[in-house]
Amino acid sequence: MNAERRIWGQLRDDPAGLAGLVVVGLFLLVAMAVWLGLIGQDWSAADGARWETPGPDHWFGTNILGQDIFERAIYSVRTAFEIGLVVAVSSTLLGALLGALAGWYSHSWVDGAILWLKGVLDSIPFYLFVAAVAFALQGKGWAMHVAMIATFWTTTGRLVRAEVMKLKTREFVLAARTIGLPDALILGRHVLPNTIHILLVQASIAFVAAIKTEVILSFLGLGVQDGVSWGLMLAESTQEVLAGHFSNFLAASLMLFALLMGFNLLADALQDAFDPKQASQ
Amino acid sequence: MLYALRKAVYGLLLILGVTFISFVLMVWFGPDQTYTLVGKNASAEQIAEVRHQLGYDQPFMQRYLDYVTDLFTLRLGSSNASGEQVSRILARTVPVSLALMLPGFVLGNLLGIALGLAAARRRGQWADRLISALSVTGMSISFLVIVIALQVLLSTPYGLNLFPVRGWQVTDLPSYLSYVAVPTLSLVLVTLGYNTRFYRAIFVEEAARDHIRTARAFGASPTVVMWKHVLKNSLVPIITRVMFSIPLVVISGSLLIESYFGIPGVGKVAFDAITSGDQPVLKAVVGLTAAAFVLIQIATDLLYRLVDPRVA
Amino acid sequence: MKSPVLAVRDLSVFLQDGGQPRAVVDTISFELHEGEILALVGESGCGKTKTAEALMGLVPTAAGSIELCGTNLAALPEARLRRVRGRDISMVFQEPLTALDPVFRTGNQIADVFRRHRGLGRAEARRAALEMLQRVGFADAGHVLRSYPHELSGGMRQRVVIAMAMACRPRVLVADEPTTALDVTTQAQVLARLTEMAGEAGTAILLITHDLGIVAHYCDRAAVMRMGRIVEQAGVDQLFAQPQHPYTAALLGAARGNLLS
Repeated sequence: MNAERRIWGQLRDDPAGLAGLVVVGLFLLVAMAVWLGLIGQDWSAADGARWETPGPDHWFGTNILGQDIFERAIYSVRTAFEIGLVVAVSSTLLGALLGALAGWYSHSWVDGAILWLKGVLDSIPFYLFVAAVAFALQGKGWAMHVAMIATFWTTTGRLVRAEVMKLKTREFVLAARTIGLPDALILGRHVLPNTIHILLVQASIAFVAAIKTEVILSFLGLGVQDGVSWGLMLAESTQEVLAGHFSNFLAASLMLFALLMGFNLLADALQDAFDPKQASQ
Repeated sequence: MLYALRKAVYGLLLILGVTFISFVLMVWFGPDQTYTLVGKNASAEQIAEVRHQLGYDQPFMQRYLDYVTDLFTLRLGSSNASGEQVSRILARTVPVSLALMLPGFVLGNLLGIALGLAAARRRGQWADRLISALSVTGMSISFLVIVIALQVLLSTPYGLNLFPVRGWQVTDLPSYLSYVAVPTLSLVLVTLGYNTRFYRAIFVEEAARDHIRTARAFGASPTVVMWKHVLKNSLVPIITRVMFSIPLVVISGSLLIESYFGIPGVGKVAFDAITSGDQPVLKAVVGLTAAAFVLIQIATDLLYRLVDPRVA
Repeated sequence: MKSPVLAVRDLSVFLQDGGQPRAVVDTISFELHEGEILALVGESGCGKTKTAEALMGLVPTAAGSIELCGTNLAALPEARLRRVRGRDISMVFQEPLTALDPVFRTGNQIADVFRRHRGLGRAEARRAALEMLQRVGFADAGHVLRSYPHELSGGMRQRVVIAMAMACRPRVLVADEPTTALDVTTQAQVLARLTEMAGEAGTAILLITHDLGIVAHYCDRAAVMRMGRIVEQAGVDQLFAQPQHPYTAALLGAARGNLLS
């Protein structure tokens, strides 16, 4: 397709965006290797002494239990992608659906109800909401996913609503309505595909937000319940750094930073590539 | 008049929605406090008595109605955990959170506006690129990482060791400044990337307007163009962003900083109330936050009229 | 013959358009004498507005010189140029609805010009602004002074811009399609007021337009622009009677056709 070709062309001319794409790709490869059981499998084995310094046996040293920090940091790539993908995809789809409904039936009771729900969710302090969801779900591991999806969709929803309201008045949509196609078909076939630029950018922003939120939640004890994540490693490190052990902190924060930076650069590049007005300036 | 009515109805619906969702999550599905309160070896009557006091024996709608009625009549009650009056808990903790968060919040926004103006004024030049690159970098660092790093660098022997590691022993201005320094710097660093980027985008859009060309054509300097014409025309989105982030920064932002540095503010109190199921405290915090949002919405509308003559 | 107040020589303006710079104004030259009204005619997109912006120093010039009373504006540093803009050379814009800053009162926007270029104090600048509003023909100038732009009609806003433009009695006024956005009766009023005030102040006008009726009625000479170049320059009577360039002839023919239909 022409539009796709143009966007690839734009991305190719954007070194920062390209770098972001490469970084995200590398991390994705690592995550796949962990999924396939090739690397990072010994993240929970306590086969070292406590707080070993980096060396040939333990590249990044060990933590308080003698677990290998390199293995844990690598395994956490998989955790990050699991959380990021689940939250980004679900919240973006939910936002697309609710935003499209609100926009299509704008100024009706459907729109009013969705806007009200958005207003309510935006008015509850986020971490209190997550904590409450975590408790309502009795400490289930996916409580934080639910909480994030339930709140992250609102931005996507607002943007999609505005875009759908704009698309609704365009000729191709009016034509589809004139020949009597059902609303659901017009929305699914003709309207939502034209919001893909919003959805892709919002999904990458949600990915970043999910990973950052996981860190805070893990520190608060509401995050990853079994397994390991950069958030758990950082939570562990809050005590260690005061005693001068920086391995956990450095390993987790640097990998976290690299992945987030990659995604942010990619999101920016996508935004520029999709925005023809900005691209021409 | 119609406007005021619409605002009132919307505000009421918002408060009802927030209280309902928080009621379902935090009260109906929240932790059961019976056994923490009755102690060991309680008889069935004692348990029933405690459950009755806590309202656990009432049906769902009755409990929600009681919740809302208590809130609207400001009967906040006392904490289940400590027995302290909720109003006194709030009077003790809210000022701490405000004192803790306000300097960083204000600085973060002011610096973001200044950097955004500087970048938009030199759009496309190296200074703009540098500021944008630093913003993305800032957006890619976790809150927790910044807090840990600053604590190590500023408050421990591994760094400069200038400020207290944790706590809030504030008695006078110097002690306040020493305790608030690291949290403030953390908050500024966490928010600066997002703020700068947001404000830059607004300023770039405003700087492209026709009337900016007019100002330049009549000899206005770039400084006057940016700080007078662009800034004043951008006040509506600036006010929106600042006003609506106040409640979230004071509750959500302070929760993390208060937990990390062991500071007795309202964020920490609210979080502890959730994890222990201390319903009176929760009711008050969530309900008052929702009310604050409604008030802020009204205040924001009034501010719009002040800064933009076109808003009638 | 006296030396011109504005002498433009081989002026070029480039526009960065997806990598390749393209000349939107291509080595044009013309002169403007005191009190004269020169029309710059051409269809939309031919580079008229970019020429105007280049004269004001609002877009960078790629080559050529713009001599205003002997000073080459194209070579002037930005800080010096700012003292010339709005004082010795000023501009009236095509879109009166968006030309004024919506969040400042019109009086303040006119007074700003006096404070900046004449060094007047707040009260004096306000009085001067009031006087300018009266001179552009507002009966209730005091009310207009306190109004915000959105409270005024398009024609009123354009007169406010003219008040700003004529505030310092500039040597040259660049008027970029000043009446295109206005309705026909307002057009005539605004143009009459503009030319009258310019005549009193001895201000030369570069009147950018695509309306040959306006050219015939108000202008002394005309320059015809096409695709960034000036293809013909002549006195208005001569241009209408004996167009030299085929494009000019076509332009005149089209205008006559419009009149007939």
